[in-house]
Amino acid sequence: MAKKTIITAAVTGAWPKKENNPNVPMTPSEIADDVYACWKAGAAIAHLHMRDDNGNGTMDKNKFIETVNLIHERYPDCDIILNLTTSGDIYATDDTRLEHVQILKPEMASYDCGSMNWLNSSLFINSPAFLERCGKLFQELNIKPEIEAFDPGMIANAAYYLKKGVLKAPLHFQFCMGCANGIPGSVKNLVFMKETMEQLCPGSTWSTFGVGHSAMETMYAAVALGGHIRVGMEDNVMYSKGVLAESNAQFVERAARVIREYGNEVATPAEAREILGLTK
Amino acid sequence: MTWGPMFMYYHCPKCGLKFEYAVDLIPEFGEKFGHCPKCDVMGIYEKDGARQPDDADYLEVE
Repeated sequence: MAKKTIITAAVTGAWPKKENNPNVPMTPSEIADDVYACWKAGAAIAHLHMRDDNGNGTMDKNKFIETVNLIHERYPDCDIILNLTTSGDIYATDDTRLEHVQILKPEMASYDCGSMNWLNSSLFINSPAFLERCGKLFQELNIKPEIEAFDPGMIANAAYYLKKGVLKAPLHFQFCMGCANGIPGSVKNLVFMKETMEQLCPGSTWSTFGVGHSAMETMYAAVALGGHIRVGMEDNVMYSKGVLAESNAQFVERAARVIREYGNEVATPAEAREILGLTK
Repeated sequence: MTWGPMFMYYHCPKCGLKFEYAVDLIPEFGEKFGHCPKCDVMGIYEKDGARQPDDADYLEVE
């Protein structure tokens, strides 16, 4: 039986603006339409960030509420899994980072399992206090954490929180490869992340993406290694060398081709829910 | 949250060309990282970060 591979579309992120790629969706309306297009192209999960009116990353709950409502109102047939970021603004307070999930209670939300330097210029803080609070809140609200791991230490952190009861098995990881200040993107390093996860958090599922030049090798390796894939302008605005992406759906379509040509099948949202154990 | 690739931006002290290198290509370029692709001299570092608003003014060296 062919393996089902989940595609996550990360359509906006916290950084690219129209100057980087005019096709990046930034308003609630643009994001809602883009999510639908990605769902039609084969994405089972949409990872969502919001932007303020100046185009900067924000954790404004009203933007999240507006976007989610638009998706449901405009596209009632769309059963894509919504995965909301909790890290859309490195200057947001812990309270602000969790307001929207308490209101919207999404099926999934991001859980960045450690702190790191950010672009060698600032700090991306995910304090122990925040991670404990976030993990317990997600359990209370039945939100599946997507454990973003930028390096192997964050996988070890997840193992600790599993033992402490802050996180509940089975875990789902998103290996963020090739980000500045994180583990460099390469097949060798992806294998290392996967093996570290298997050793410390057995029974976990995983997805991955590569930023920049590691994007394609990470995608192909993910399929070959039995993982799932994330694509989208949050991570890469270029479709190929020197070529801007026309849309997020273009990224999803390519991922779907890669999956099918390998011999796997693209997981529907319903199948993704089963794989990830979502019970909402 | 990610922020795309990180770049280091330079200009050439010899020909004035403005160019950028993605930080994830440090292993590939080694000692040549930061060199002007035309003159092969070490560029003058200007700034670094995710893609800048004036990114189009710089030649991406790959």
